[in-house]
Amino acid sequence: MFTRGTLIYIGQRLVLIVLAVLGVSSLVFLGIHRLPGDALFSEHLHGDQYQQTLHHYGLDRPLWVQYVNFLAGMIHGDLGESLVNRGVPITPIVLREMSVSAEIGLVALIFTVGIGMTFGVVAAIRQNTWMDYVLSTTSVIGYSMPNFVIATFLILVFGIWLDNFTQGTFYFQIGWPGRYGSIGAIWLPAFALGFPYASIVARLTRASMLEVIRQDYIRTARAKGLREAVIMVRHGLRNALIPVITILGPLVIGIITGGVVIENIFGIPGLGKEFANSILNRDYNIVIGVFTGYAALVGLANLGVDLLYVVIDPRIRY
Amino acid sequence: MAPTSFRILKTLALSAVASLAVVACGGGGGGGNGNLASDQTLNFPILGDFGTLDPATADAETDQEIQQNFQDGLVRFDANLNIVPDLATAVPSASSDGLTYTFNLRKDVTFSNGDTFTSKDVLFSWNRAAAYQGAYATNLSAIQGYDTVAKNKKAGKDLEALLEANDPSVTMGGLTAPDPYTVQVKLSQPAGWFMTAIALSGSTGWIVDQKAIKNDPDNWWSNPATAIGTGPFKMVSYTPKQSVEFDAVANWWGSPKPTLTKVKIDISVTNASTAITKYEQGGYDIVGYGGYSNLPVADILRIKNTSNESAQLLLHPKVRSYWVSFNMVHDASRQAGGPFLLSGGDKAKNLRLAFALAVDKNALVQTVCQGIVCTPATGGLIPPTLIGHMDSVDPLSKFDAAQAKTLLQQNGGASAVAGLKYAYDPENPLNVATAQFLQAQWQQNLGVHVDLLPVAHSPFIKARLKGDYVLSRDGWQADYNHPQDWFDNLWGTKLGCPDAGCSTGYTTKAYDDLQAKADAEPLDQAKADYAKLNQMLIDDVVYIPLYYSVGAFLIKPYVKGAGTNSFFDNFWNGISIQSH
Repeated sequence: MFTRGTLIYIGQRLVLIVLAVLGVSSLVFLGIHRLPGDALFSEHLHGDQYQQTLHHYGLDRPLWVQYVNFLAGMIHGDLGESLVNRGVPITPIVLREMSVSAEIGLVALIFTVGIGMTFGVVAAIRQNTWMDYVLSTTSVIGYSMPNFVIATFLILVFGIWLDNFTQGTFYFQIGWPGRYGSIGAIWLPAFALGFPYASIVARLTRASMLEVIRQDYIRTARAKGLREAVIMVRHGLRNALIPVITILGPLVIGIITGGVVIENIFGIPGLGKEFANSILNRDYNIVIGVFTGYAALVGLANLGVDLLYVVIDPRIRY
Repeated sequence: MAPTSFRILKTLALSAVASLAVVACGGGGGGGNGNLASDQTLNFPILGDFGTLDPATADAETDQEIQQNFQDGLVRFDANLNIVPDLATAVPSASSDGLTYTFNLRKDVTFSNGDTFTSKDVLFSWNRAAAYQGAYATNLSAIQGYDTVAKNKKAGKDLEALLEANDPSVTMGGLTAPDPYTVQVKLSQPAGWFMTAIALSGSTGWIVDQKAIKNDPDNWWSNPATAIGTGPFKMVSYTPKQSVEFDAVANWWGSPKPTLTKVKIDISVTNASTAITKYEQGGYDIVGYGGYSNLPVADILRIKNTSNESAQLLLHPKVRSYWVSFNMVHDASRQAGGPFLLSGGDKAKNLRLAFALAVDKNALVQTVCQGIVCTPATGGLIPPTLIGHMDSVDPLSKFDAAQAKTLLQQNGGASAVAGLKYAYDPENPLNVATAQFLQAQWQQNLGVHVDLLPVAHSPFIKARLKGDYVLSRDGWQADYNHPQDWFDNLWGTKLGCPDAGCSTGYTTKAYDDLQAKADAEPLDQAKADYAKLNQMLIDDVVYIPLYYSVGAFLIKPYVKGAGTNSFFDNFWNGISIQSH
């Protein structure tokens, strides 16, 4: 599937991702050390004992020494130790939470693309019918509502109004029982995360499909006697996908960053929840780790989207 | 034939319904029949991961609540807060000069990995804790040689090497082991509080296994293979910020023998309301354990009004007090100044009293805590159930708007206290509500406008201890049941007042002298002197008492033996799960 040129392109992008991740984490490192307050100081731990604890974590050294140590650790994949959860290495935590966020994000992306394209295609081929109006209106509502409103609404519906139907176990999923990968636990937060973006995809797909299905090659395909479904999927949808893929990059970033809100609402132990907690706890090492994780996730997701072009449109080469 | 798009839509709809069906399984429990359940697993959440389970550096309530179930001290507090023997065979008395304690150790104790417990472990644990200089290192400060060890700067494997070599830099001279089952402690000066301090669970007086720590001195406590203690439970798995599990130790040496076979603690939920909902849906057996009994008032009110769950709610006074501190010293280090200084004499004292009397503490408790999660601090700053709590009513806790107004008028009027700010840390919602209530009371009852200054917790504490605020939120959670914990850690030169680590700056020679005397006395003798110290604070109007906190717990009816005292959760080895 991938040519040598494409593989070289992937290699270059990976190098750039590494540099970007290093740059982001360095900026966060330097910025966060300018903030007032820290995780260690408390009513019980101050004075000499506080200084001793700072010494233990190397936080009493000059900033440049700390920075050099941080960079050395980063290069070896070591993001340091948590200050609140003392001594616990951060790298495994960030990797685990990154996988949770990626899992939610991936299902949200499936919702985004699946629902968005379905709505868009149906609205296009049933243009100016009641179905078009319903789907278009739904799309407008979708991208008019922030994801936290949708999330809260879903909790209201499935957690409270449909309590009898869900046997109360909907709430059991809030707080995450630890079964990562269970679609039953993922689909609701993923829907809340993906639906606003699905609405954008729906509108774009509809517009794109309307343009494509009026092209001569579609008329030719019909004249050849191809079935309507084949025409729509193989000739129509495939060509209509290019502009959708183009906005997929920003959408993926939106989904990843939107996870901060959704994970906190649903209590999902991903990067987003850690992001909020670590800032509130002033656990700076974890904040840096989470930013690093996010930078890596965004970089890799963008690379994945760019590679999709090659799959969708064989004319595109890197 | 339906178009492809319709089929896709149909598939999506079916998937959604199927997902709902997957979600809609499981359920909650019912009442008990008095028999033990076959599954003796206790589930509860803690709303934040523990900081550490290393007694040398632990300083959070959650840490200690966990540690008290898998580690031990030579002595400990029982459910009634009496000091009882733990790894020692008896609670020793001080020698006649008050300087020597001799502990005889139990000979039947083993760590959960099978290692035998001896006096060597005590020396290692205590010297190590003094060398690490964690938040509670000063609990050992009465021991001869502590000051030398406290200067240690080594940590990790370097420190372990020094400890193993009995290097003088990390060895307290007053701590010796005449034989494998005897430990002798010599104090540098009499300290009536010493026994209470080392009984504090999960803290510097508790015992660790040198062999287990040796290879991973910093993180031994987070690895089930090395998180070794002498307690009735042992760690079997731990995923940071996710979950931790403990199993009962087979043939544990102590009593009562644990009935629970497993304790599963969920660390993934950080929101109390979410935890309560999960409890109500059968996901947990208890909520509020592990130092998280500050459940949201709205949830407690809702549960109180239910017919089936109100009986599961346990409200119990805890050992935290809240008050307002005045800045009482102005010097090169303490920049805040203000109208309440000790050097201001009677005028400043009367202004402090005016501010204290202008606050209706009963109304505060109703407004801020809905009359549930706190009670008015009417018996001094030391909460009820603790030694040192006043028998009489603290005069500073009274509400007398008329007298407050008169005092203000007689001492300069509103202009004397113009431009004041009340600083507080808004992370705790009660602090926000309290600040707003105080502002309204001072405005209404004194005609004085006080601005509110919210500051993030950590910078707030730093600035307060530096003397940067004229009026500030203050509070203390008792570490152990001894008045010394309060009078040594909040005021006086011994703490560092006026210029180091001191919210008010308050210190007088009379206070320092009496404090030194009280600290050196056995508790029975010292009580009267601590009461006099308390009276000094009242006479000098050092604080405005606000409220004592109340802990809230939810406990399923089939969980027997769970509960709390004012300090800590009931031990896991006294809990059982009934059939339900």
